[in-house]
Amino acid sequence: MKTRPLLIVVSAVSLLSSMIWAQAGTKPAAGQALSAATSSTSADNLLHAGSAAWGPIAVKHIALNRTPPLYDTDEAATLEISTVDVRLARVGGKLLVQLIWRDPTHDAVTLAEVPNTAPETRFRKVPTEADDRFFDAAAVMFPEKSGINAMAPSLQMGDTEHPVEIYYWNSTRGAMLMQAQGRSTTKRTGRTFPVSATYQNGQWSVNLELPDLPAGTPVAFAVWNGSQKDRDGRKYFSVWQVLE
Amino acid sequence: MSKHQYAMVMDLNKCLGCQTCTIACKKLWTDRDGTGYMYWNNVETRPGLGYPRQWDRIGGGWKDGSLQPSPLPTMDDYGHAWEYNYEQRLYEGKKQPVMPSPEPKSGVNWDEDVGGMNEDENYFFYLPRICNHCTHPACLEACPRKAIYKRDEDGIVVIDQERCQGYRYCIKACPYKKIYFNEVMGKSEKCIFCYPRLEKGQVNACAAQCPGRLRFVGLLDDPESPVHKLVLVHKIALPLFPEKGTQPNVFYVPPFNPPKRENYGKSIQEDPRVPLDYLIYLFGPEVKDVIVRLESELRKTQEGGRSEALQLLIGRDAETRYRVRPQLVQIQL
Repeated sequence: MKTRPLLIVVSAVSLLSSMIWAQAGTKPAAGQALSAATSSTSADNLLHAGSAAWGPIAVKHIALNRTPPLYDTDEAATLEISTVDVRLARVGGKLLVQLIWRDPTHDAVTLAEVPNTAPETRFRKVPTEADDRFFDAAAVMFPEKSGINAMAPSLQMGDTEHPVEIYYWNSTRGAMLMQAQGRSTTKRTGRTFPVSATYQNGQWSVNLELPDLPAGTPVAFAVWNGSQKDRDGRKYFSVWQVLE
Repeated sequence: MSKHQYAMVMDLNKCLGCQTCTIACKKLWTDRDGTGYMYWNNVETRPGLGYPRQWDRIGGGWKDGSLQPSPLPTMDDYGHAWEYNYEQRLYEGKKQPVMPSPEPKSGVNWDEDVGGMNEDENYFFYLPRICNHCTHPACLEACPRKAIYKRDEDGIVVIDQERCQGYRYCIKACPYKKIYFNEVMGKSEKCIFCYPRLEKGQVNACAAQCPGRLRFVGLLDDPESPVHKLVLVHKIALPLFPEKGTQPNVFYVPPFNPPKRENYGKSIQEDPRVPLDYLIYLFGPEVKDVIVRLESELRKTQEGGRSEALQLLIGRDAETRYRVRPQLVQIQL
C-alpha cells in the first residue's frame, strides 16, 4: 500500500507520455515502426495454434504500459507483464497477428453452455458459478480509416473524428469485433473473427486474423491479466506502432 | 435530478419475514440462466450477516465526494444456488433421500431468526431490501461504460443491458450490494422497480404480493402519495445507511413497538426491545426523533384520538398504500 503513490506517479507518467500520442491528429514518431512479413504459407496455417510457420518471421518486443487504478480503493496496478512479442504476416489479403506474452496465471474457464431453449421452458437453469473472476484477454486496435500518413487517433479508443476498430479476444468468451470513437464508447458489433490461442509454460500465444492493413496504418496492442482483475481500461497497453 | 422520483416505504413493524415478496420478484424477474443465486428483493434477519454476507460492513457509496468501492463479494458470500435431486429420487428409483446440491453453506437469509441479544433477551426483526434507486447512485457514477442511467421521468435506476460489459465496478460501488453479476450472460443486473408494471398502472410485484401490507409506493414529489406523506409530512420513515451519501429512495418505518417488557403506557425509549444503538447504526441518529414521533402518535390513539400517520400505516387497501401514475410515462419511439 505504501508504494501506491509512487506507482500511480509512474503509471501516470507512462500514461501521460502515451497521451501525447493519444492526441488526435498526431503522427506516430519513427522508431515505432512495425514490419509485416509477406508469408508464402496459407493464412489457415499461420492461424493454427502453435504453427511453426511463424518461426522465420521477425519478432518485435513492444513495451507495455499499465493504466493506473481507477479508484483510490482499487488494487494497485503493478506492472507484471512488461512486453508483448508481436509478429505480423501478410498473406492472401489478410493480416495475421501473433501476440505472445508471459503471464504466470492462466485466467480462463469454460463456461457452462446454455441450452438452445428458452429458460422458462426448462426446470434447471444454467447457474452463475462465480461472480468475482476476470479473464486474460488481448486486443489489436487500428483506425477505421487507415492508410499512408493516416493520423493516429486518440489512444483512448479513438475519438469522434477518428473511429477505431478493435479486434478483441478473451480467454473465456472468445473473439469479438468492437468499434469505438472515444473512451467509454466501445460497442460490440456482434461480429467475430478467426482466432486461436494456447497457454503453455506460463505463456499465452494468440493468433488473430485481421483484414490486411496498408502500410502507414497506426496499430496498438493491449493485454488484460485476469488475476490482476483487469477489465475495461484497467489493462496493459502499447503506444501506437506504425505498420510498414 | 430526475423530473419525478418513485419511492417505496416499508413498515418494519409489520414484516413477517415470509419471503413472499422475494418469491414474487424471483418468479417474475430472476428465473433465467445465471440468475439462480440472485434476489433483487431479499428479506434478511437483523441483526445478522445479511445478503451478501457483511454487505453493510465492506464499503461502497460516497465519502467526501469520492466513490469508495468495496471488494467484490464472492459467491460464497451470496450463497450458491442449489438444486434438489428430485429426478433421481422420484423417477429413477434411487433410494437416497432428496438432498440439495451443492451443499448449502450460506444463503439469502442464512441466519434466519438468530438476531442478537438485548441484555438478557433475544431480539430480531426482518429487513426487506430492494435497490434503493438512489438520487445520487454510486453505481451510475462508477460505470465507465455509462451503461447505468436514472430514468428522467420517474427516477428509476436501470442498467442498459446492451452497453453493460460486466466490469462490476457498479457492484463494488453500491453500498447496499443490490447489483448482481450474471456470469452466464456476462452482464450485471438489478431491481428495475418493476417499471414495466408501473407503466401499466400495476404496483411492484413485491408490494402487490406482500401479505403484511407493509409496502407503500408512489412518487416522492406527489403530495397525494402515501410515500410523500410518510417521509416528508409525518416524517416517520428513514433511508438505510444515509451516511453512505447516495440518498436512497426506499425508506423504512423503524421497528419501535412494543417495549421489551410491558406493552401499555410505558415509553419504548425507556425500555426498547430493539437497542437504540442498533437502529442508529441502520438509520442514523434521526431514528430517535422518528421513534418519538411514532410514540406520540401511538399515545394519541391510546387516549382515544385519531392519528392520520398510524391510519396510513395500517394501509387497509391498495388505494391507500399505492399511488401509481402510469400517465407519467413519456413514450419514446
